[in-house]
Amino acid sequence: MDMTLNAFTLSLLTGLQLGSIYVLIALGLTLIFGTLGVVNFAHGALYLIAIYLAVSINNALGFGLALILVPPILFVIGILLERGLIQRFYNRPHTDQILVTFGLAIVLQELLKWIFGANNIPFAIPSWGNGIIMLHDYLPFLEGFVVYPKWRLILVVVSIVTVAAVFALLHLTRFGLVIRAGMRDAEMLQFMGVNINRRFMIVFGLGAMIAGIAGVFGGPVTQVSPEVGMQLLVPSFLIVVIGGMGSLGGAVLAGILIGMAQSFTAPYIYINTIIIYLITVIILLVRPRGLLGAKGVFE
Amino acid sequence: MITQQNFWQHNKAVLMFALVALTMPLWFPLIGGYSGLDTKIMIFCIFVVGFDILLGFTGYLSFGHAAFFGISAYTTGIMLKNFSDNIIPAIIVAVAAATLVALIIGLLTLKRTGIYFSILTLAFAEMFDSMAMSMLQKWTGGENGLTGMPTPMLFDLKMQGDTVFYFCALMAILLYYLAKRIERSPVGLMMKAIKCNQTRLEYTGINARKYKLLAFVLSAMYAAVAGSLMVVYEPFVGHEFLGWHQSGEIVIMSVIGGVGTLVGPMLGAGFMLYFENVLSVSLGEQWLLVLGVIFMVVVIFMPGGFMEAVARLKKRFFTTIDGE
Amino acid sequence: MTDVKSEKTNHTAAGWSRRDVLKATSVGAVSAATPMFFTQNAWAEEAIGNYPVKGSEVVLGFNVPQTGAYADEGADELRAYKLAVKHLNNGGGMLDTLKPSKLTGNGILGKKVTYVTGDTQTNADASRTSARRMIERDKVIMVTGGSSSGIAIAQQYLCNELGIIFMCGLTHSNDTTGKDKQRYGFRHFFNAHMTGKALSPVLSNEYGKDRRAFHLTADYSWGHTQQESMQEFTEKEGWSTEGNIMTPLKTTDFSQYLSQVLNSDADVLILNHYGANMVNSLTNAVNFGMRDMQKNGKNLEVVVPLYSRLMAKGAGSANIDGVLGTSGWNWALEDEGSKVFVKAFSDEYGFPPSQAAHTCYVQTLLYANACEMAGTFYPPEVIKALEDFEFTGAGNGPTLYRGSDHQCIKDILVMQGKSPSARTSDFDYLQIVDQVAAKTVDYDPAIFGGELGPYVPA
Repeated sequence: MDMTLNAFTLSLLTGLQLGSIYVLIALGLTLIFGTLGVVNFAHGALYLIAIYLAVSINNALGFGLALILVPPILFVIGILLERGLIQRFYNRPHTDQILVTFGLAIVLQELLKWIFGANNIPFAIPSWGNGIIMLHDYLPFLEGFVVYPKWRLILVVVSIVTVAAVFALLHLTRFGLVIRAGMRDAEMLQFMGVNINRRFMIVFGLGAMIAGIAGVFGGPVTQVSPEVGMQLLVPSFLIVVIGGMGSLGGAVLAGILIGMAQSFTAPYIYINTIIIYLITVIILLVRPRGLLGAKGVFE
Repeated sequence: MITQQNFWQHNKAVLMFALVALTMPLWFPLIGGYSGLDTKIMIFCIFVVGFDILLGFTGYLSFGHAAFFGISAYTTGIMLKNFSDNIIPAIIVAVAAATLVALIIGLLTLKRTGIYFSILTLAFAEMFDSMAMSMLQKWTGGENGLTGMPTPMLFDLKMQGDTVFYFCALMAILLYYLAKRIERSPVGLMMKAIKCNQTRLEYTGINARKYKLLAFVLSAMYAAVAGSLMVVYEPFVGHEFLGWHQSGEIVIMSVIGGVGTLVGPMLGAGFMLYFENVLSVSLGEQWLLVLGVIFMVVVIFMPGGFMEAVARLKKRFFTTIDGE
Repeated sequence: MTDVKSEKTNHTAAGWSRRDVLKATSVGAVSAATPMFFTQNAWAEEAIGNYPVKGSEVVLGFNVPQTGAYADEGADELRAYKLAVKHLNNGGGMLDTLKPSKLTGNGILGKKVTYVTGDTQTNADASRTSARRMIERDKVIMVTGGSSSGIAIAQQYLCNELGIIFMCGLTHSNDTTGKDKQRYGFRHFFNAHMTGKALSPVLSNEYGKDRRAFHLTADYSWGHTQQESMQEFTEKEGWSTEGNIMTPLKTTDFSQYLSQVLNSDADVLILNHYGANMVNSLTNAVNFGMRDMQKNGKNLEVVVPLYSRLMAKGAGSANIDGVLGTSGWNWALEDEGSKVFVKAFSDEYGFPPSQAAHTCYVQTLLYANACEMAGTFYPPEVIKALEDFEFTGAGNGPTLYRGSDHQCIKDILVMQGKSPSARTSDFDYLQIVDQVAAKTVDYDPAIFGGELGPYVPA
């Protein structure tokens, strides 16, 4: 392939940042699925709530407050949703979960459209994150003038930190231990006197909170209109499935894979437009449980 | 030996449907319907009945049935435009093309179950949609849709107005009857056994895959007939026919009506199209919101859809009588 | 004479069979003072679509996006339609400025104007089902609306088959009055070709003749025609074209395409995007620093060929500040027609109308006026009245509704995004840089092919 080092670097970075936003959304989705066994089609709508809250708070009170307020608000919304709706569906077929959350997604999207209108609301990048970084200053192998938006690199960092935090929570804390045990065998934990229901509720809240973080940092990138939720839902969902339902590592891997694929095929419209579906089909046919999916889950 | 009474007993549902369908031009306008919409309802009845053969009988939830609907519609359009304005060869070629695609996709996807199957079918359908929009737009017309077909003809008969309605209604009745026959046949029982417990079925030495594939291809053929009739009804193909909204709409229709009952999904199709095109006008811009709420309420409280509501009412009615 | 005429338009649902016509003709020949005039009209006027119009009211169908991405634009179109109905029934607005005009302010042909609305959902299939409802159930005589070319073309074909006149809302693709033109379809809005013609000289004036353009193009019919036109006319100005990438319509993040642009030698980025696509690609380009960058020793410039107020608002004034593009109309225009329309609209709704509202309003009035001029709702006569109709007083200066392709030839506005500090209201995002005269953007309709077809549908 005829590609300069400059072009390769730009495509690589673009793939990474496209993947980052997918990962941030897929992370909550796969966490909720892996722990609660719930297929949440309303996750895109949670992201939608997050960006509308974020842009409203940002425009009225500044980005700092948006960052402080939005994730906890989403946490609370997640908990209310779990108590009010999702918990009724723990023992119902996955099909029903998909359907009810899909319905919820439509309702939330239309409600937000009603309140804010169908037109895009501009979400400006805060001044400290605005501007571009001169990559050639840092990477000596680049020739001449190569730049990248600062905010998108921040987004990559946020994504990495969030992934690391979730991993740490699950693998280094007692809470995480119980959750992981609950994923294996919830009934056994109940017998041992662990209130697994309360923990499930918190996990759902956490999933929503990650959507909140994604909204605060992703909003200036995806922008803010009612269609955004559904537009992100399908790719994020495909990423969760490609990675293996319930596998955090799989979601990260699949997110970056899809991001890279979209970035490197950009000049070739025919491949670019179907690449995500092509990858999904090939991976699921070759490796049914997804890249890092646990054996037996949903196979 | 089938006596006359037996025939009535056996085919009560089909005859009832035939009565409702064929008299539709008489009663539908009374509730705000119109002649374009009744035809579309008949076409979607075919689509959902076929979908129920897959989802209702075998329990496989496809998110990609728009693929067969759309491929058939495009094929029909291209046939009408370039080959002949007679609909018979167009429908036959279109259904054959969609069946072939269904066979290939079925062989690939039915190895998987549950959510993986759903996602695979979704991915295939979205791939076709993207292709129709992009690399195939020379043939499909892309975003603008496929236009410029002549008025479809059934030999010397123009397929317009009432003619096209009765043609679609008769097809719907015939295909509903066939679906009923399949349901009662040993093949239908096998399909339903897949839904109950596939593993157990396979222990008995029965090749479940064969029946799954049959159900998948049959439902795709129904979708293909519906897709082809859409073009007979209106010589136009939009890329939306292939999109996941179309697949999703079929799922919603089936669920609202009552999955696995054959007649339920048809009720659901009628309700959805009526709601979208007649009731929506009085609801204005928020009609989609209301539809979303209705859909959620049905899924939460009435997983069996309208048919469950009917059954509950029936039960209540009959228990009261028993009590007396 | 007038009595006979009104009875004719009021004729019952059975319509006019040939025998009725013969009977009427013979009666007319005996009783009427000018039999020649009468018979000439009568032999032609069989039932077409929802003609003849029954009763004392005539119904128009307004099919606009109420759900989906263009819902806000659709809402503004609907406001304009309601205002047009109000003016048709009671006078006011552009009824006072449109010339020549036979509009009376007393409905159309003495019938009170009413309307029904529908939701296109920006989905071709849904828009057709909705249009069918209006035509078959609500018996509309004309359908109008829409906010995207695919939807306009889909409805135009349907209406043409059913013998209903379709007055396009916002549609900018060359195809609408090009290869997909129909006898029953009319477009007042301008098109991609005219954008290229109007914008390119301004671009070369502002940015110089030695420029290298890179196009990002939405991969659908409108995008393609927009890209071809921009390439054609910028190259005529001496520009070269470095590259063009088609972007899928569903794209929300354009960074992978912008990376390609950054890596090229281009010093102008042309975004052939509309709606959400444009909002995102422009915002992304700003994030990539493309508006503060130098290439080939010149400032890198971004161009958005088709502008709308809602898009400008969606992208934010900080991002569109100084960006050039075109619009069909703007509320800041100072001609009489625009002024009365802006006033009436603002009085009614409290804010100025968008270009979509303008084109929809004018389309409704032009249709009504054509009926008055023809003296009948009989579609072939109305079509003939619209074809090659020349008028003024509806904004955009002297305008021709060209008969050969049903495209309005009128002045085009070259617009520039205002800086946040220069804005005076929440509706003030764009300023007029140039009003390019109709004769400059005029073109030979034959270049796009297509055929209008017969006056009486098969």
